[in-house]
Amino acid sequence: MNISVNTKHLRSILLQYGGLLTALAILIAFFSLQTDSFFQIGTARLIANQIPELTLVAIGMTLVLMIGQIDLSVGSVMALSGAVLGVLMAKYDWPLWAAIFGSLLTGAACGWTTGAISVWFRIPSFIVSLGMLEVARGATRRVLNSNTLTIGSDVAVISEPIGGLGLSPAFLLAILAVLAVQFVLSKTVMGRYCIAIGTNLAAARMSGIRTAPYSIGVFTLSGLLCGLAGLAPASLMEAADPGAGIGIELSAIAACVIGGTSLMGGRGNVISTLLGVLVIAVLQTGLSRMSVEDANKQIITGVVIIIAVLIDTARRRWERAST
Amino acid sequence: MNQRYAPLSLFVLASFIVGCSQSKQTDSASSSPAGKPKIALIMKSLANEFFSTMADGATKHQQANSDQYELIVNGIKDERDISRQVALVQEMVANDVDAIVIAPADSQALIPALRRAAKSGIVVVNIDNRLDADMLAKEDLRIPFVGPDNKAGAKAVGEFLAGKLSKGDGVAILEGLQTSENGQARKAGFEEAMAEAGMKIVDSQSAQWEMTKANEVASSSLSEHPEIKAILAANDNMAMGAIAAAKSVGRSEDLLIVGFDNIAAAQDAIRDGKLLATVDQHADQLAVFGVETALKLIGDRNATVENVETPVDLVTVQSLLAQ
Repeated sequence: MNISVNTKHLRSILLQYGGLLTALAILIAFFSLQTDSFFQIGTARLIANQIPELTLVAIGMTLVLMIGQIDLSVGSVMALSGAVLGVLMAKYDWPLWAAIFGSLLTGAACGWTTGAISVWFRIPSFIVSLGMLEVARGATRRVLNSNTLTIGSDVAVISEPIGGLGLSPAFLLAILAVLAVQFVLSKTVMGRYCIAIGTNLAAARMSGIRTAPYSIGVFTLSGLLCGLAGLAPASLMEAADPGAGIGIELSAIAACVIGGTSLMGGRGNVISTLLGVLVIAVLQTGLSRMSVEDANKQIITGVVIIIAVLIDTARRRWERAST
Repeated sequence: MNQRYAPLSLFVLASFIVGCSQSKQTDSASSSPAGKPKIALIMKSLANEFFSTMADGATKHQQANSDQYELIVNGIKDERDISRQVALVQEMVANDVDAIVIAPADSQALIPALRRAAKSGIVVVNIDNRLDADMLAKEDLRIPFVGPDNKAGAKAVGEFLAGKLSKGDGVAILEGLQTSENGQARKAGFEEAMAEAGMKIVDSQSAQWEMTKANEVASSSLSEHPEIKAILAANDNMAMGAIAAAKSVGRSEDLLIVGFDNIAAAQDAIRDGKLLATVDQHADQLAVFGVETALKLIGDRNATVENVETPVDLVTVQSLLAQ
């Protein structure tokens, strides 16, 4: 490999992620100056072990947005998966691996249902997933009897930092999921089809792509990722919480949009979404470190989301002008 | 959207909206024999263990006294859905109930609706979250309040905690939603106990009653202020989040945590030595006291309207072992 190819590659990476990395660097610099404890490896570890939940949900959301759909049920599906895990382990004494299987199956089944109804009956996924949001939350409460259920320390291993690394299996899993999905998107036929479906559904169908199974597949995958996401808080708290994941759909959509995913479909990048998640996580952690008042936290979070999107839009315009 | 499916999606939307009112009637209203009063219990979110326990307590009481009254239990979807609760009050007035026992989602916004109910001859009893006393006086309304003294409960658990600390130690408070009356009362109770015992409140932030949010806020707080020796959480869910935070910053061994509400998971945590204490407001009895007050007022419209203070008890490992 010669040097010119290398620099070209580096340049394209900088172009792609430069805006977000800048935003992230500004935030980190700001909080490091404002607080004593922020600029430490411990902070990075804390954030790393707190983001798997949002990261996994946001990856699925990126895929769904890319095919021009939306899934509002992610938070409820996540809670339901966590609830299933909790009940299987605490009430039926299933081993961890089997309970994880059960919770992933739950997530995938919810995602499949939303996708299938939306695609087969051509009902906007906004409506179907809104229905699923209610159904899954209700089912979560049914399963848990509306109570927080203690699971016990068997489940803690998922969020327990490993050895010297200080990173939890949940975090490593989330990173693995980011890389895997990014690979699928940029290197496989399925990825190309997803982009085609999101860009122009009719044209994709006309050119012979079987759009229905791909679309349903994306919803199922998103559900499966919600199932994975549900493991993180359940393991961290060693409890299944009937109120888990309320409102996470909006954070996930925010992370996707900060990462440059188009709400109209056809454009998205999972690594950018991860950077979007990091922007949100760094902001939340930093504001908590500064003990910012709750009302102001909300205002600042909203403003930063808008600014991050502005920076990214400027970056894209500049990219288009320079190529 | 395909025109053909427009009516269908409207139907889905309509059934979704209907589905939002979680109503259950324990006794058929139509077959009501004359003279048997109908009491409506209007709760906050039944997804919250505290309120579901409360509603269950009332349902059991009705079953044991089914010859004396009928009970209609209603809840709202989330604790901030004030307009839905106002609508529920109106529905119950239209339903010709004899009494409304309500845990208001807002201390002021519900007053106009309750005034209209009272004007039409319905007995109104306020439980759990206290209606604004000044506004009631201004409206010349006499609505009895049946509920625990949140401030006294918080003070009691704060004093118990102070006994385990030494003077001058740093503590942090995890507040509930800053707009809620009981959240403010608990914070005030914590502050009073800490001030009297000479502890230093290093940090006080809202985690909006939520477990995940509390984990994030508490781990930031503990990193920024390592001198924190104890965390006072305004509910048990947030205490669970603080337990997870203590673990992730390596403070499980020495950090003391107290909560409020006495949910089942908190009892487990106390037995495991992860939580020092919590406060039992006897949720199962709260609505029952409200119903009994309502029955008394239905029986004798001229009975003096008196507030009833329900007991708050400290729950510690000793009290759990004594059971």
